Parts: sequence; C-alpha cells; structure tokens
Amino acid sequence: MMENDSPMVKITNIHKVFPQDVHVLCGIDLEVKKGETVAILGASGSGKSTLLRCINFLEEPTAGTVEVDGITIEAGENDKLRNGRIRDIRKRTGMCFQAFNLFPHMTVLENIIEGPVTVLRQKKEAATAYAEQLLQWIGLSEKSDEHPSRLSGGQQQRVAIARSLAMKPKVMLFDEPTSALDPELVGEVVEVMERLAKEGMTIVAVTHELHFARDVADRILIMDNGNWVEQGPPEKIFNNPEQERTRQFLAHIL
Amino acid sequence: MKADTNLSEGSGIPAEARKILTQIETDRAAYKRKLVISFIILAIAMIMVLIALKLDFRFMKNQLPFIFAGMGYTLLVSFMAISLACFLAVVGALGRLSKNPVFNSIASSYVSLIRGTPLLVQVYMWYLALPQIGKALEGYGFTGIQAFFTLPALTAGILALGVCYGAYMTETVRAGIQSIDPGQTEAANALGMTRSQTMKRIIFPQALRVIIPPVSNEFIAMIKDSSLVSLMGVWELSYRAIKMGRRHFQSLEMLITVALIYWMMCILLQYFQEKLETHMARGDRSIR
Ligand SMILES: Nc1ncnc2c1ncn2[C@@H]1O[C@H](COP(=O)(O)OP(=O)(O)O)[C@@H](O)[C@H]1O
Ligand SMILES: [Mg+2]
Repeated sequence: MMENDSPMVKITNIHKVFPQDVHVLCGIDLEVKKGETVAILGASGSGKSTLLRCINFLEEPTAGTVEVDGITIEAGENDKLRNGRIRDIRKRTGMCFQAFNLFPHMTVLENIIEGPVTVLRQKKEAATAYAEQLLQWIGLSEKSDEHPSRLSGGQQQRVAIARSLAMKPKVMLFDEPTSALDPELVGEVVEVMERLAKEGMTIVAVTHELHFARDVADRILIMDNGNWVEQGPPEKIFNNPEQERTRQFLAHIL
Repeated sequence: MKADTNLSEGSGIPAEARKILTQIETDRAAYKRKLVISFIILAIAMIMVLIALKLDFRFMKNQLPFIFAGMGYTLLVSFMAISLACFLAVVGALGRLSKNPVFNSIASSYVSLIRGTPLLVQVYMWYLALPQIGKALEGYGFTGIQAFFTLPALTAGILALGVCYGAYMTETVRAGIQSIDPGQTEAANALGMTRSQTMKRIIFPQALRVIIPPVSNEFIAMIKDSSLVSLMGVWELSYRAIKMGRRHFQSLEMLITVALIYWMMCILLQYFQEKLETHMARGDRSIR
C-alpha cells in the first residue's frame, strides 16, 4: 500500500563493457513500476539479454546502479555483504531463459520446490503444496512426477515459469522465452505470461512475440547498440513511431 | 525377443522394405555367430599353447590356494586406494576450478607433479624416502616425528596408489563438472543459490553420470597397479605368485596363474561396469 509509486526496478546509468572494450550497454536507465509490464525489443546483439542479466547480477555491470524492491547495489562496490544482497535481489527476481534451463536430474515437482526448500529453507510439505497449486495454475498437474525431458518445449517453459514463481518473486524477467519454441507451442507460454501480467506481476520481458508486445505490455522499449532508441505505449510505438530506427526494426519483425 | 525389430505384422510396411529389414537382421545374426566362433577358436589356440609349453598344471593347481590367499590384500589395497583417490579427485577438481589462487595453485601443482612422475618412484617415495624426511625434520627439533613418517608397507602402498590415481581422477572430475551446461549454474544462481548449494544440488549430481564410467575404468586399472605394493613385500596376489615361482623354479606357471586371476577379476569388474552404464543410460533416456 505504502510507497506505491516507488519503482520495483530502477536501473541508473548502467554500462557493460566486455573484455577487449566491447561496449554492450552504454548508460542505460530503466524504471519499472509495481505491476507494470514492459517489453524490450531490439535487433539481435543489441544488448537486451545483457541488460536483463545485469538486473539480477548474472552479469556484473561495469558501472551504474541497480535497485530492485528497495535493495540497491552499485557496480564495482567492494563490500563483504554484497554477495548476500545480490542473493536477496535474486530471491525477489524470477528469471526465465530462452533455453528453459530446467534441472534435468529432477522431476517437475522437484524442480519447482528446489528454490523454496534450498534457498528459502521452507518445509518440503509446504513447498510441495504451493508447487501443486502452481502446477494447476500452469495446467500441468499431471506432469508433476515426470522428468523435464519428457515434456514438450512449451511445457518445459511453463514449468520454468512455475519454478520462478515458487520463490514468490516481486518481478519476473523473461529473456526471449518463446524463441526456442516451435510456432505452435508459443501460444501456451504467452498465455501463461499474459495471466501473470493480469494478476499484477511486475514483468520485464525481452520478446519479439507480437501479441504480448502489442496487447499485454503497458510499455515498449526499443534498444539498439546498447542505447534506448525510443519508448512508449504499444499503440504509439506500433502505429506512430518517432524514430527511423524503430520503423526499420518494426518493418523487420512485422 | 528381439527388441530392435518390433515390427508388428500388417502395419503397412511395404514388402520390399520388410525384405531389407529381414536382410539386415540376418546379417547381424551371422556376424554375431562368426564373432562367437572366432572367440572360441582363439580360446582353444591359447589352451593349446599352454599345453605345448608343457606347463605343470598340477603344480599350478596345488599353489592356487596359496596365491588366492593374497586376494584379500589386493582387494583391500584397491578399495582403500580408490576411496582415497575419489576423495582427492573431488577436492582436487574443486581446487582446479577455484578462483582462490592458493587453493588453485596447490591443486594444479598436485596434478602436474603426480602425473609427471612414475608411479614406481612415488611408491618408493612413500615407503623409503619419507622416513628420511622424518629424520631431517627431527634435526629441526620435531622429536618423534620420524616414527610417524615411517609407514608400514600396506599404508605406503595405499597412499601411493590413492594419491596417484587421485591426480588423474582430478582431471576426470573437473572435465565432468565442466561438461555441465552453464545454463544450469545460471538457473541455480537466478534462484538465489550460493556457490556451494549450486555445486551440491545441481552440478555435482549431473556431473556424476558423466564421471562414473571413467572412474570405474580407473578402478579396473587400480586392481592391476595394486601389484606394485608387492615391491614392499605385501603378500598380495602377485607377490605370492612371484615368490612361489622363484622358490620352485616354475615362474612361468605362477605368472600365468596370477595373470589369469587378474584377468578374471577385470572381466568380472567390466561386467559390473557395463551393467552400471546401461542402468545409467536408461536413466538418461528418461532425462534427456
Ligand atoms: N560474455 C560475453 N563476452 C563478450 N561479449 C559478450 C558476452 N555476452 C554478450 N556479449 C556481446 O554483447 C552483445 C550483446 O549481447 P546480448 O545482450 O546477448 O544481445 P541480445 O540479447 O540483444 O541479442 C553481443 O555483441 C555479444 O556478442
Ligand atoms: Mg538475447
């Protein structure tokens, strides 16, 4: 209720330089409000994944500040408690990968309770009860005891979403969650993401899935060469883009 | 019975395709038959050679119980040494992958030093050279340490084999860990797991499937290398065979006998290894 206007994610002046002076992010700012859904679009190699990975420190930013749910971490800080704070951010941040990255040696249910039991030290029974609710919510209750390899790509990605949600995250990050899927399986994953957005989850999604970008996202950001090109509500970006670069990019994906 | 030809009749497979399938099946059966015949001929030839050598088979039979009594030591040394090697391999692999310079350099030197020196020299180091180190240390005022550094033959043998195989297996374990998709670590990190939780819960269980086949190979090799402890007078299989052979001037009989015993042990172990691997492969299919 309180601080309802303070952003869930606030990124200030993030730079990322890979070895050999590969400058991938060039001073990016991003604020995402509670409950907001933003879609990040941009050509391959423009730095979208790197930005997303800087939010939960899978990638260490070279400069700048990341704030998630009130936890602030500066790039290059030298603080003993820093790793603990990074984990605190990760506990509040769910992430879904293009390649799903489910744990192949565990069943679907074990995948989902792994975080709550190992990281949050929940009781196995409590974690299992919640996992079963999540499985029902993604429509895969009957797959609970299967290993991930027995599932289709779309089912695996839905399980990966459930695995993240089991941590009760404050914000969900999606990195091209449907890019590795056969076209006929994209819909079931987008549908789950859409329901998540409707239920008020804060979402940052890198995706070229048009329905999600146009009809689900509250705001679209276009990235090019590690900079924002343009941002705004979907209607404006799709119907009335200001920048030539945006027009070129949209022509490419539409 | 044949699982690889589950063609149900009348399943719409055209006659010419069925003909080819039948041909493939016949060829495969013929190959298997010829293979078995070759093996039998080889075995007969070997037995004939043994007979032609005019071996004293009765002597071999009479000495068998005496040699077999060394089996206990051979197995004891092998099992103790492989356990030590597994422990060192896991610690060594974590060291080789560690970002801590001290830990990393110690592990790397361990692997380099041990792999760069003959096992025979290492065995003598533990047995003969270590007491001298103890003596030198006594000179620096560590009284009573020489006794501690003077190892019984069995202990020296187990340490030598375990430390040596641990170095080779360090690389096996490291490769196994590195073969796991980095996406697994990222997924674990994204959930907020610590480094050790990730290793224990996610990486190691998956690496184990990759590591077990080469480690069982190492174990088979270890059974044979355990004969090196005979150099220090441990009464294991080969020591007993060599001793008896010399005493009666019938080394050929004794060496052939002990060679056959080792061979049988390895065949048995290989059988279990194959069982284990097919078992794990079955798990794999349900996993991939
Ligand atoms: N670990 C890395 N080391 C070096 N360069 C990298 C690394 N990760 C990404 N890059 C480079 O950063 C650029 C942006 O990558 P990425 O963020 O994956 O783009 P996108 O997700 O928009 O396709 C690419 O040129 C890529 O080659
Ligand atoms: Mg990407």
